Amino acid sequence: MEIRRHVGAWLAACGLAAGAVLPWTAAAQTNGVTPTTITIGVFGPISGPASYIGLAGRDGAALAFKEINAAGGVNGRKIQIVFEDDAHSPARAVAAVRKLVEQDKVFMLMSVGGSNATAGTIDYVKDSGVPMFVSIASAPGVTYPFQRTMFRGGTTETARYGELYAEYLATQYKGKRIAILSGREEYPRNEGDATAQKLKEWFNLEPVGRFEFNIGDKDFTPQLTGAQRANADVIAFFGNPAEAGIAIRQARDLGLAQPFFVGANMVDPAVVAAAKGAAEGVAGFALVPMLPGSRLPEIQKWEATWKKEYPNAPPARPNVFDVMAYADAYVVAEGLKRAGPNPTADGLIKGLESIQNYRVGPIATPRTFSTKHHIGNLTLVPMVVKDGNWDPLPWQGTHPSDVLKRYP
Amino acid sequence: MPLTFYLQLAIAGVSVGAIYALVALAIVIPFKASGVLNFGQGEVATLGAYTALILTQSGLAYPVIALLVIVTGAVVGVIVERLLIRPIASAPPFTIVIATFAIGLAIKSAIQIHWGDTTFALAGPFGDDPVIVGGVRMNPTSLWIVFCTVAITLLLAAFFRFARTGKAMRAVAINPEAATLMGVRVNGIYRWAWAISATIGASAGLLVAPVVGINPEVGQLILRGLVAAVLGGFTSIQGAVVGGIVVGLLETFASITVGSTFKNLTPFIVLMLLLIFRPYGLFGARDVHRV
Repeated sequence: MEIRRHVGAWLAACGLAAGAVLPWTAAAQTNGVTPTTITIGVFGPISGPASYIGLAGRDGAALAFKEINAAGGVNGRKIQIVFEDDAHSPARAVAAVRKLVEQDKVFMLMSVGGSNATAGTIDYVKDSGVPMFVSIASAPGVTYPFQRTMFRGGTTETARYGELYAEYLATQYKGKRIAILSGREEYPRNEGDATAQKLKEWFNLEPVGRFEFNIGDKDFTPQLTGAQRANADVIAFFGNPAEAGIAIRQARDLGLAQPFFVGANMVDPAVVAAAKGAAEGVAGFALVPMLPGSRLPEIQKWEATWKKEYPNAPPARPNVFDVMAYADAYVVAEGLKRAGPNPTADGLIKGLESIQNYRVGPIATPRTFSTKHHIGNLTLVPMVVKDGNWDPLPWQGTHPSDVLKRYP
Repeated sequence: MPLTFYLQLAIAGVSVGAIYALVALAIVIPFKASGVLNFGQGEVATLGAYTALILTQSGLAYPVIALLVIVTGAVVGVIVERLLIRPIASAPPFTIVIATFAIGLAIKSAIQIHWGDTTFALAGPFGDDPVIVGGVRMNPTSLWIVFCTVAITLLLAAFFRFARTGKAMRAVAINPEAATLMGVRVNGIYRWAWAISATIGASAGLLVAPVVGINPEVGQLILRGLVAAVLGGFTSIQGAVVGGIVVGLLETFASITVGSTFKNLTPFIVLMLLLIFRPYGLFGARDVHRV
């Protein structure tokens, strides 16, 4: 009897112990999850000509995760990030995500880089089954065709850019002769292609010229004179802020008075700083409701928090990518929270798919996902440079979007 | 197509080419004197641009800024030669080349740590209003760059032809041992060569900053500078300048004729073809060995 009682007590103790350990055992089978932490692999360019994206993406996300951890973390776990530089190169980006997945064994990936590099990782990431949340890159392959493990946050799909850009260009400028100057890398080329496609489909307009340049180019005379010779009424420019700054100034030097419309990554104070007075009247769509450096109190408050965290940051920071990555880090944390106490890849996906109109605050656009599409943001805000500042424009597209029709 | 269109492109090509020419000159001079190929020269130009940025923010006038950038370049050149190059002067040439590459990387990294990768604007000395001649519009800063390139080339030509140090530099370039026996202080000549080279490099940074902006990637100009230097024969002052202008014109007209895809390739293709038929470049001399 005594022995039986002892055995019973021993079995009960084992049962209790198993009960305590089992949840962790389940979690332990998930890479990057410990009883106290969740590790996220983050990558983006912090060297090379696109480092203005990755440095901001890294810092914005890190600030958000620090705040989330200070508030208790996600379901009791603190978020850790492992960062890798992709140098805006597809090859470097693949090497970075391979390291994060195979060596660091992260729970999930977060891209805070540009399309050029992120597009290169898509096949590998899809095959790996590791969820990836893309904050900044708009490469179509991230979310189309639909892949359950891939999510897009702050940027919208390139096709949506094309819709909004085409509608704005066709309705806001008096003339209809549109010249497109675009970089040859993934993101600007896609923007140019999508815009040209929707100009044709929706408004029966063919660009009067399509002129390409290389990232890092310092002289745009051939492209600008080409647009001039094509009698363009408006120049749509898709590239990087450094290139836009030079091209806009050179256009005025060459006597081109045509208005400039720029891609979303160039709706940034850096373009105004580089192009100076020549930037007046330049229009574009912002990926955030308010830009750093603007006079709106909500963004000024956020900037003060950011600058407290990064007191030695260079000028022109924080930029729009700080804001996007910051907002998306909160979206990721919300997805993790909804994944429950024992996060798995499947749980995270379901958690993110349940998010409707979530945003961390007025500085971010709302994110919505569903089981049919993972494009978190379909909203862009038109802005124009006025007195050296990007000011929001009271314009809203009215043409129904075709983007979500692709997801049955 | 109207003539003004081609003239406009030609002006753009010459303006960009003048920038490449300056970088090529900065590469050629220490190579002429000491046989060292300085891969860090691009970052010296970057350093010049950032020096100009700092001085501009201090509210100094352009002539003062230009003078201080020149002095900074000279000091950097002397420091690099004395502390980094001379101690490894007897090492194989490849080692020294890698060392110059490392110097460039160190400068670039230091700049990135302090300023990040943000592009800064710098006002040109003559404003932004274009000069219009016969329907062709010219940026005053680009004209200033062309003028400075021509002036620097003439000064260098005069220096090598008439100045005692210039003549000594030529002697060292031909035969350092013989020059030493003739009383030339070779180490001093090397120091001069590096100081002049870094001065030109830093000046190039100052000059191009209003046109291309200031960011850590300014130093990438070295690739075009190298092509220009090789085209020109690598040891020729005039060759470096002509090579730079040729590269600038090739790039600009290639954009219109073969498109941007091949624009960057065109100077390299021309370079390869030239080297097949004229391995010593446009202005270089064939090596003659007495047997």
